[in-house]
Amino acid sequence: MIRLQRVTKRFGSASEALSNVSLRVDPGAMAFITGPSGAGKSTLLRLIAGLERPTRGRIRVNGHDLDRLSNRAIPGFRRSIGLVFQDHRLLFDRPVFDNVALPLEILAYRRPEMRKRVRAALDKVGLLHKEGVNPRTLSAGEQQRVGIARAIVHRPVLLLADEPTGNLDPALSREILQLFDDFNRVGMTALIASHDLGLVERMGKPVLHLEDGRIEARAAAGAPA
Amino acid sequence: MKPGRRLQDTVPAWLEAHRDAARRSLQRRLQAPVLSLISIAVLGFILALPAYLWVLLDNARALSAHVDHDPRIALYLDGVEAATVADLERHLETDARVERWIWIDADEALARYREGLADPGLLDWLDENPLPDVVDVVPATADPETVAALREALAATVPGATVVSDDDWVRQLNSLHQLGLRILSVVGALLGLGALLILALATASELRERREEIAISRISGATHRFLRRPSLYGGVMTGLGGGIFAGILLLIGIGLSRAPLEQAAAAFDLELGLSLPGATHLLALLLAGLLLGWLGARLGSGHALRDAP
Ligand SMILES: Nc1ncnc2c1ncn2[C@@H]1O[C@H](COP(=O)(O)OP(=O)(O)O)[C@@H](O)[C@H]1O
Ligand SMILES: [Mg+2]
Repeated sequence: MIRLQRVTKRFGSASEALSNVSLRVDPGAMAFITGPSGAGKSTLLRLIAGLERPTRGRIRVNGHDLDRLSNRAIPGFRRSIGLVFQDHRLLFDRPVFDNVALPLEILAYRRPEMRKRVRAALDKVGLLHKEGVNPRTLSAGEQQRVGIARAIVHRPVLLLADEPTGNLDPALSREILQLFDDFNRVGMTALIASHDLGLVERMGKPVLHLEDGRIEARAAAGAPA
Repeated sequence: MKPGRRLQDTVPAWLEAHRDAARRSLQRRLQAPVLSLISIAVLGFILALPAYLWVLLDNARALSAHVDHDPRIALYLDGVEAATVADLERHLETDARVERWIWIDADEALARYREGLADPGLLDWLDENPLPDVVDVVPATADPETVAALREALAATVPGATVVSDDDWVRQLNSLHQLGLRILSVVGALLGLGALLILALATASELRERREEIAISRISGATHRFLRRPSLYGGVMTGLGGGIFAGILLLIGIGLSRAPLEQAAAAFDLELGLSLPGATHLLALLLAGLLLGWLGARLGSGHALRDAP
């Protein structure tokens, strides 16, 4: 599903945010990326999502060669991915329903199907009863769950999450990770960045450790490419 | 094709997407009515000014067409040789553009002139007849271009003669009208360009307000086409609104300037009315607004989305 070969990313003339990173995530797998702040976790996820281009190296995601992806092909590629952010990035100018419906609008779903899918996604994160409220009125944990519902509503094959538990207490964090585990069980490949090593290790999933832009530890599903 | 979506769904889905974009754009405008109305008003003023000038020009041209006159061409044959005069007579006989013509002999003219004087003896002081022979030509048509062509043909036949046609002022008016149209198109183009920039700026700032939505949408795979769709609808709405407002301003402006203009014209012994623009012209105004609105939104959104990831 994901394959990086000796990928390097440099921003301007600064030192390398990622140096020679190689990794592989198989279809249907679930893996974590850990590492201290500034290690390059977000950069790695943004490269995989096609939001940044690598300075060097090859990235293959879901059958697409990202370095050869034309600008025209990028939207189509991104539609096969779900992205969850630490700060959830919800739109406060519209209710929860419309936030979750956004990817389906982009995919030009028709109303009835859209309604069905948004409800199903909200139901999965336990917020069906909140579909009409403004996300501003929700708690941090609820907001993050709306963000997750938005990321999975179009049933992407790959779910990328950048510190989705960053702002949450341990109990809520476990709940969120449990949600990802559920999605993974129904076939979604998932790659989750987190600096909370203890929490991650309890999930019993492969862990890639980033330190200063380099992969430190290698685990089973995140085998070297 | 995504699972759960069928081919026969694509066209209705596309229509639905357009309807949504239009609805969202309208909602956005209704949420900030003052700003939207200012855009419409600015466009309306910008469109109304050249439209008003155009109506004035058009009426001025109608003035020259309305004047009831039989154009005449007078040839003053001063010192023209007899052979040339024979040429002229042949020409006048054969040219289809000539309705009729009168030869006014110099002596005859002097005699008539003498009759009009209180003291005919005055003219005895003159050694010779100062009047030239005159040919008064009535063209077959009043069309200014035909008359002008005939006048040139006659002038070419009698090189020494002075040729005067009394439609000179019509042609002067026409050339003034052409000049007016030229100035109007320059002014109109400049104003249109200004309107375009204002509308593009408004669109760009609207998209800047939507930037978080745009960023999220881009990440979710939205195309630029999808993202600018509401802006284009917004531009069309502003454009239509501006066109309608310009039409209203134009009608009010004409209504207000009608009476003073007719009074002023009467002072010059002219019968000048200010007629209202027809439906076609009002429609053209509407279309101009629509086009400017769309184009402005297209420019502004193109610029604003250029940097969207
Ligand atoms: N857009 C950017 N411009 C310049 N430097 C960046 C940018 N994004 C990240 N970096 C740098 O790259 C390094 C890795 O950052 P990041 O991937 O955000 O780490 P993490 O998510 O693990 O905290 C940091 O040194 C950061 O300053
Ligand atoms: Mg980060």
